[in-house]
Amino acid sequence: MTTFIYIVLQLAVIILLAPLVNGIIKKVKALTQKRRGAPVLQMYFDLYKLLGKSSVVSEVTSWVFSAAPFIVFSSALTAALLVPVTTFVRPLAFPGDIIMLVYIFALGRFFMSLAALDAGGTFGGMGSSREAMISSLIEPSLLVSVFTVGLTFQSTSIDEIMRAMQGVGFPLLRPAFTLTFIAMFIIIIAETSRIPVDDPSTHLELTMVHEAMILEYSGRQLALMEFGAAIKQLVFMTLLVNLFLPHDQFIACPGIGGLALSLAIYVLKIIGLSVLIAAFEASTVKFRFFSIPNLAALSFILSFLGFLQFFVLGR
Amino acid sequence: MEVLTVKFLLSASMVLYLFAALAALVFLKRHRLCSILSSATCIAASLFGLAAALRQLLFADSKLVMNLWQSNIPFLQLNLSMDALSAFFVLGLSLLVFCVSIYSIGYMRHYYGKRNVALFHFLYAGFILTMLLVFTAGNAVVFFVFWEAMAVTSYFLVSFESEESENQRAGILYIVMTHIGTAFLMIAFMMMFSFTGTFDFSAAGAALPQNARNLMFVFFLIGFGTKAGVIPFHIWLPYAHPAAPSTISALMSGIMIKTAIYGLLRFVFIYLGVETTWWGMAILIMGLFSAVLGVAYAYIEQNIKRMLAYSSIENMGIIFIGLGVSFMAFSEGLVLVGALALTAALLHTINHTLFKGSLFLGAGSIQYAVHSKNMEEMGGLIKRMPITALFFLGGALSVSAMLPFNGFISEWLTYQSIFAGIIPGQAAENILFIFAVAALALSGALAAACFIKLFGISFLGLPRSEQASSAQEVPLSMSMGSGILTAFCLLSGIFPLYMLNLINKVVLELSNQPITGQLQGNLFFIYYPLTIHGNMISPQVIVIALTVIAGAAFLMLRLIFGKQSERRYGTWDCGYESLSPRMQYSAAAFSKPIRVVFKIMFKSSRNLKIKGALTYHPDSMEYSVTTVSVFEKYIYDPVFRLATAFSSKAKFMIQTGSVHTYLLYIFMTVLILMLYNRVAG
Repeated sequence: MTTFIYIVLQLAVIILLAPLVNGIIKKVKALTQKRRGAPVLQMYFDLYKLLGKSSVVSEVTSWVFSAAPFIVFSSALTAALLVPVTTFVRPLAFPGDIIMLVYIFALGRFFMSLAALDAGGTFGGMGSSREAMISSLIEPSLLVSVFTVGLTFQSTSIDEIMRAMQGVGFPLLRPAFTLTFIAMFIIIIAETSRIPVDDPSTHLELTMVHEAMILEYSGRQLALMEFGAAIKQLVFMTLLVNLFLPHDQFIACPGIGGLALSLAIYVLKIIGLSVLIAAFEASTVKFRFFSIPNLAALSFILSFLGFLQFFVLGR
Repeated sequence: MEVLTVKFLLSASMVLYLFAALAALVFLKRHRLCSILSSATCIAASLFGLAAALRQLLFADSKLVMNLWQSNIPFLQLNLSMDALSAFFVLGLSLLVFCVSIYSIGYMRHYYGKRNVALFHFLYAGFILTMLLVFTAGNAVVFFVFWEAMAVTSYFLVSFESEESENQRAGILYIVMTHIGTAFLMIAFMMMFSFTGTFDFSAAGAALPQNARNLMFVFFLIGFGTKAGVIPFHIWLPYAHPAAPSTISALMSGIMIKTAIYGLLRFVFIYLGVETTWWGMAILIMGLFSAVLGVAYAYIEQNIKRMLAYSSIENMGIIFIGLGVSFMAFSEGLVLVGALALTAALLHTINHTLFKGSLFLGAGSIQYAVHSKNMEEMGGLIKRMPITALFFLGGALSVSAMLPFNGFISEWLTYQSIFAGIIPGQAAENILFIFAVAALALSGALAAACFIKLFGISFLGLPRSEQASSAQEVPLSMSMGSGILTAFCLLSGIFPLYMLNLINKVVLELSNQPITGQLQGNLFFIYYPLTIHGNMISPQVIVIALTVIAGAAFLMLRLIFGKQSERRYGTWDCGYESLSPRMQYSAAAFSKPIRVVFKIMFKSSRNLKIKGALTYHPDSMEYSVTTVSVFEKYIYDPVFRLATAFSSKAKFMIQTGSVHTYLLYIFMTVLILMLYNRVAG
């Protein structure tokens, strides 16, 4: 029964919150540029409109193209099941760990990249090829960060690590965690196609990565792709805030009240992180494509230093 | 069922392989009959081998020993033995041979009347038989003889299509490299004999002096490393595997290179014993480099089969990482971590057999239909060969470690064993382990990218050549062969515990450490996940979650918004209205970013030839990229050049061509030997 409550709650929060994050980031960016910007809820309207529209599908495509949006969407939501938004409802050790999380996202990316090549256009191949490079370069630092955090508590279960982090109190006061936090922030920027790695608002072929891959999509399929990307972004952000800024240990009241309070704090943390990402995006420019390896190397070095600090130099 | 003993099943399997080889020679002129008869016999033989292996693994409590022939010459005796370790590799061999032989019924058709099909089948069955005998050899002499026979038969098979000079060169390179490895093995076996006075490798080698054991380890590592194709001994592999017919590539990549893993476990792990930590470190470091460089070279390759060959180097690297961690852990007394890492390595061994077999067979189907190995001439094959495409995609997902295929399970286990091996306080090991994690992550992501490229460029998009647009689906037997392998990949990914329970027997035999306590879980369904050290995953639940969410999304959208209406239209072409297949991203273009980022490994150079005036609209442009295989150019070539230069000079000093000098040599040798005997006696 708890598992069922957990699944419903988890999916509901992630599905409802994911488009809002995009709205907040866009709004903050617009404000920094002295524009009024689209409403914060714009992505909900967009998704609703797209879901009802008919789609134009290229004659060249095969079943891979039609299946990909569903695989991307469902892999993102399956990944969402592994990252608890609150530790108040115990998911009865939901069967998956942090390494599996990385590979579930990889499954979605695999099909998105294939679908990009399916239409036989130029843009898809370009996006797919660039995505392949970015994801390969960022992967080592992602796993080293994940290992550093997991090893501290001798577990790769996300739920276990989150609970153990609550025992730490303020993890960011520890150098190892500060370093991995920054490394993971860079990873999130790269994984969610944001400036300086990719530019979500561009349609210029020189700079497109993620947008180039989904260029051929329209209507309901496009909505699923966009939604999947938003969910993936939220899952990564949830991982970051719930690992490094745990809050459930401060909530004294048990039961429904505590759960509600915990969720409210979680939403506030996500909004805060969205503003931070938006500020980061607004304060920098897109890197030249072949400068991205430097960013990936920075992230790897930070995560590696975090590991060294903890496991070689001692606590 | 007393008749069906392991001994009977194994002997029946061997006799049938022998029959398959000889029957092929009897029907020399009748290609069709010869091919079908020989393949069918191999299928039957593989089933007997499978039964023998399973029976040994599941029910036997002691190892099988067969003394077939005892000669009067000392140490020359033919005895075979099969314990759990042998049985495990025989299992992999039989599974692969079963599928490859089914495939070969259809595949051999395009050789009918053109080539000596009988000779091919003779060598094919002989090759399998020698591998079977390598896995079941009872002493070092038998092992060595069949090891050599395996190398020779596979050489003939590699250069079977010998009219292309490229294939001849590949064959020569292969036989030279494999003999360099064999030479090192021979020295190690000689040392084994001179220290213990026996070729029996079940006798413990732990009594050997430490220096001798270190030296023997190095020789075994070079010898078996060459067969495994790990960097830096890999240079034969990317040439030999593409040159062979695809059934042979599948066997070579799928199981022949695994004889090296078997050898390392048999001779280093069991015979020498692992008590020295740097042995494991050496294996681990080799694995690190193979995993990353192997896949990086695969990524820039345009030849389908060569890409798969490089990917084999990567996967051998992953297996070596598992082995290295295991050896290190055992030497430090961390038996549980060692057993775990050993399980991961063995699981990846059999997984690689299954998915690489399927992929090479798929590549064979592509070649059969398109008559090319070059990705730049493919495209859109998913429309013309839907079944091949489906099975190939399954294999590609598996090799990329995607859920829910078996490649993921073994990579996850490798990660978990490294995770368990990192213990605060041991600095050098921890740094090495975290680099192994980074290498696994990088190679995993690059492998996925690699197979996105392979599948995307050859099966999706528009056909890039005439042959690709007129390709046809391959015969049923061919799709069955690769289909069964892909099905195994999927099933052993969703239900990993069946295979892990078999491997548990092997690990138990090698280390006395059962991992079943660590490997909790329900064999069949559902909620009991795979648990290692308290960390658990359940592939079943993830599969159910994925399908339920996708299905629910589909149905709910249909209920709320109605049926999706689709309009078919051309691909977006920026309004120019003339999108041609040549405007698609090509294979070379796809790998460009990685080629630029890792240019130190590839030394790539671009050649752009422009004809006509140098304006914005030249008459024609030709663009090509060349990459250098760094290991050949900077390590092997100088050594070979030096060796050639030395021998061409030395030939005039030692081999003068005069009989008198040679007589002097003989006289001197006899004299020295007599003196030696005098002094030593």
